[in-house]
Amino acid sequence: MPHRQPAPLPPAWADQLLRLFCPEDLQEELLGDLHEQFDRQVAELGETPARRRYIREVIRFCRPYFIARQLSVQTAQKTSYSPHSSLSPLMLSNYFKIALRIFRKDTTFALINLIGLATGLAVALLIIQYVRFELSYEATNPLANRIVRLTMDYLNGGALDAQDAETYNPIGPKAKQEMNEVVNYTRAKPFTKRLTIQLGDRYYVVDQALAVDSSFFAMFNYPLIRAARTSIFTRPRQVVLTQTMALTYFGTLDVLGKTLNVSRPQNKILLEIVGVVPDSPANTHLKFDMLFSYPTLQSDFDQKEEDWNGNNLYTYVQLAENANYERFTKSLAAFSDRLIKEKKITSERVIGQKIGDIHLYSHKTYETEPNGDAQSVYFLMGVAFLVLLSAFVNYVNLTTAKATDRAKEIGMRKVIGSTLAQIRTQVFLETVFINGIAGVLAIGLVAALRSVFVQMAGLPEGFTVFGDVFFWQSLAAFLVLSSCLSGLYPAFVLSTFEPLTVLKGNFSRSSKGVFLRKTLVVFQLTITLILLVQTFTVYQQVAFLRKQNLGLRMDHTLVVKAPVGTNSEQAYESFRQMLLAQSQVRSVAYSGTVPGLVSSQMGTSTGVNLSDAVRKTYYNFYITPIDTSFIDLMGIRLLAGRNFDATTRYGFSDTTDRQLIVNEETLRLWEIPTPQQAIGKRVDLWGHQATIRGVVKNYHYESPKSAFIPIILLYSPHLSSFASVKFTSGNAEEHLATLKRIYEANFSHSPFNYFFLDSEYDKQYKADDRFQQVFGGLTGFAILISCLGLFGLATFTVSKRTKEIGIRKVIGASTINLLVLLSKDFIRTVWLSILIGLPVTYFLVNNWLANYATRIELSWWLFAGPALLVFVMVLLSIGSKTIASALMNPVNSLRSE
Amino acid sequence: MGRTYLGEFEELVLLTVALLNGTAYGLNIADELKQRSNRSINLSGVHVALYRLEEKGFVKSELGGATTARGGRRKRLFSITAYGKRTLDEMRQVRNDLWEAIPNLSFS
Repeated sequence: MPHRQPAPLPPAWADQLLRLFCPEDLQEELLGDLHEQFDRQVAELGETPARRRYIREVIRFCRPYFIARQLSVQTAQKTSYSPHSSLSPLMLSNYFKIALRIFRKDTTFALINLIGLATGLAVALLIIQYVRFELSYEATNPLANRIVRLTMDYLNGGALDAQDAETYNPIGPKAKQEMNEVVNYTRAKPFTKRLTIQLGDRYYVVDQALAVDSSFFAMFNYPLIRAARTSIFTRPRQVVLTQTMALTYFGTLDVLGKTLNVSRPQNKILLEIVGVVPDSPANTHLKFDMLFSYPTLQSDFDQKEEDWNGNNLYTYVQLAENANYERFTKSLAAFSDRLIKEKKITSERVIGQKIGDIHLYSHKTYETEPNGDAQSVYFLMGVAFLVLLSAFVNYVNLTTAKATDRAKEIGMRKVIGSTLAQIRTQVFLETVFINGIAGVLAIGLVAALRSVFVQMAGLPEGFTVFGDVFFWQSLAAFLVLSSCLSGLYPAFVLSTFEPLTVLKGNFSRSSKGVFLRKTLVVFQLTITLILLVQTFTVYQQVAFLRKQNLGLRMDHTLVVKAPVGTNSEQAYESFRQMLLAQSQVRSVAYSGTVPGLVSSQMGTSTGVNLSDAVRKTYYNFYITPIDTSFIDLMGIRLLAGRNFDATTRYGFSDTTDRQLIVNEETLRLWEIPTPQQAIGKRVDLWGHQATIRGVVKNYHYESPKSAFIPIILLYSPHLSSFASVKFTSGNAEEHLATLKRIYEANFSHSPFNYFFLDSEYDKQYKADDRFQQVFGGLTGFAILISCLGLFGLATFTVSKRTKEIGIRKVIGASTINLLVLLSKDFIRTVWLSILIGLPVTYFLVNNWLANYATRIELSWWLFAGPALLVFVMVLLSIGSKTIASALMNPVNSLRSE
Repeated sequence: MGRTYLGEFEELVLLTVALLNGTAYGLNIADELKQRSNRSINLSGVHVALYRLEEKGFVKSELGGATTARGGRRKRLFSITAYGKRTLDEMRQVRNDLWEAIPNLSFS
């Protein structure tokens, strides 16, 4: 017999799909036609294309006509046993009625399901919005995929020492010149000294001003709302305002040709407004209020064209349309090597990063703003999903547990003549119905929680939730998902009851269902346990950070920003003396930065070495000028040598006797073993020599989250940036008023800007605080949901065993006996979830803590505590019901039925 | 009661049913249409049109004999009803009248 291959068959799942959608009476002919067509196409085109066409054809069959046909009563004429199709309007109203009746009969269960689903949905929706916002950075820029930020890596003896987001001025133009892949570049130099704008007799301080090249507008997708005809940003002293700034300054957008007066200590410069752009969106890493033409830097801010001495600006390059990123990385490395060979940069390397990656993945020094963290974002998303899943688990568990209660109803329906499809549809539609209500409740919850959430998660203030189409899309998607996940299983379980057994009355719970239910409870408890351990750890870690000895004293300290528009030593001195004359003022210190401001406010330098060093190193040192009272006022401990005093010489022109105070970390890097040995050592600094006259103990300039940084303190009695004023304890309001009065007496023309040192320092913890709050909130919801579920299950178990309890009581069981008996099963699940949860959470917690330079030791109770808490939680959820029934008079429980 | 509406595609299908007289079923109607009208026809569209035509009373159907090619499934054979035939005739008449009413057919 000749060997014959069996004819290929179309995919079975496609047929299954068709059966799902098409009315039963049409299935035979439709499948017939489809199969015939398939056979023909296999012969003509081959098997794979035929299958593909088959699937496409089947999907086309899922069209409204067939659904409508199923809905129509017409089928009634063709089937004798079912008076109505399972989706006819009559049946629908019937399902609805039954659903309402079940609701009324067992409000507790309905409420547990509703509250669980609604909170789960609301949490998931909010987190999704947050995640979407965090992921949307630079998404509005159509060129985002082709724009790369060039940054610098500091190397020390080949090892990576630090990463800096800023680069040298000539890198951009040079990159365009030397690399084929680069078609455009723009530099963005932030003004670290805040600029003051004078308009008539009003002064404004510009928070974020950038000097940029003219290509900036094209690369960063800023359309000019108003633009002068002159070529923009080719000449010095041109400025572009954001819409908001234009309105603030002039009250109108028609500001072209108007001028802004920038007042500076030495002189004033007049800027011509040549354009207006829209405000920076919240989801970009490079935000600004005002843009200057790059040539302004050269004309008025002493910026040299080829300056390789400082890297103080951001450089962005635009890649050619067909450029391959991998290849670009290679030519960037070659470009960097060339610069090293030419000695333009030493011990540094140019590195590129896509701008879309900056917000979530870049944590370099001198970032434009504190960035987000991809890990936490995805982590929160995962947790939100788990909370939602937990709500589904509740629904499935409670519905299948209650199935026995409904078995009679379903058995009866079957006997009367319901089809399987009708019962499934009914149960499924009940889920859809409950989910629908839960969805409405969730919207209400989101509305209620929105403002708290926006604040907690650090979202921009005007963050819209309901105005966003995506919100409704995700709500719809979640409802479909939750209807399917929580509705399908109960629908199938409930429809399989054998009417005969059920109605005869000897129906018992299937062991399979119980097993699934237990598995789900274990799953839910495991999630809760993991979240609890995480929350404990996060709280502990944040508290630990806050408890750290900072090496600083920041209480009762107000900080004023240096006045603008004056350079008068006399005014500074008079300000200081007037303050000191106040009885509540303990001391006043002028400095370049204050602790708690991001370290990027400090200058850095890599080329600082001991003069007698054998080997040159290139560590990144943080340098800041202070006066004689700074160390004392901040409570920094002097370990060796002397503080600066009035005889210390200052000024950058002075080359003979520059004096330095350094911290311990600096000594460590210079390999000086003790503070005493450091005193008197000579240091090369910017081509000059200086002497170490003091060593201070390490202190946390930034949050203790990060490691100690090497700090070099220079002497300068000028009020260049900040004046810190320490008050004796007392009323903060009063102090502020005093400070303001004295400030205005001396610097009447300049706006008064102040902050409390400790609250500014606390901002360092903001990211951790947020994470802690959002995480704590999520955990709270997770616990709420699993408690609800457990409570529901306990209620159910107890109600099933009322009679048993009664009998046991009559025989002589004590309340404790009964409690143990009834909670035994739940306790076992708790053990199991602890067994599963603890290793997982140990791994997760360890991973998270690795991000912190200063971190807590993991102790046993960080795990034991949450485990115990889960125990208590389970006991409380199930206990109340159990005890109530155990205390019940057996006469009542036995008389029931 | 007004006249039952007959869509353009439905009309084509109805004509094909009339053409294939007695041997018309989903797949061969689709093939015939594909050949004659040179447009992409999918099976589901043809079926929906057929069922609609049946609901409107233009065609009637019966299940034919099973063939092995279709996995033992029967086909539904469609044939035009007298009402369907009459409707087609009327439509043709209306169109003819309209064509003749156009004063000059040369659009130069």
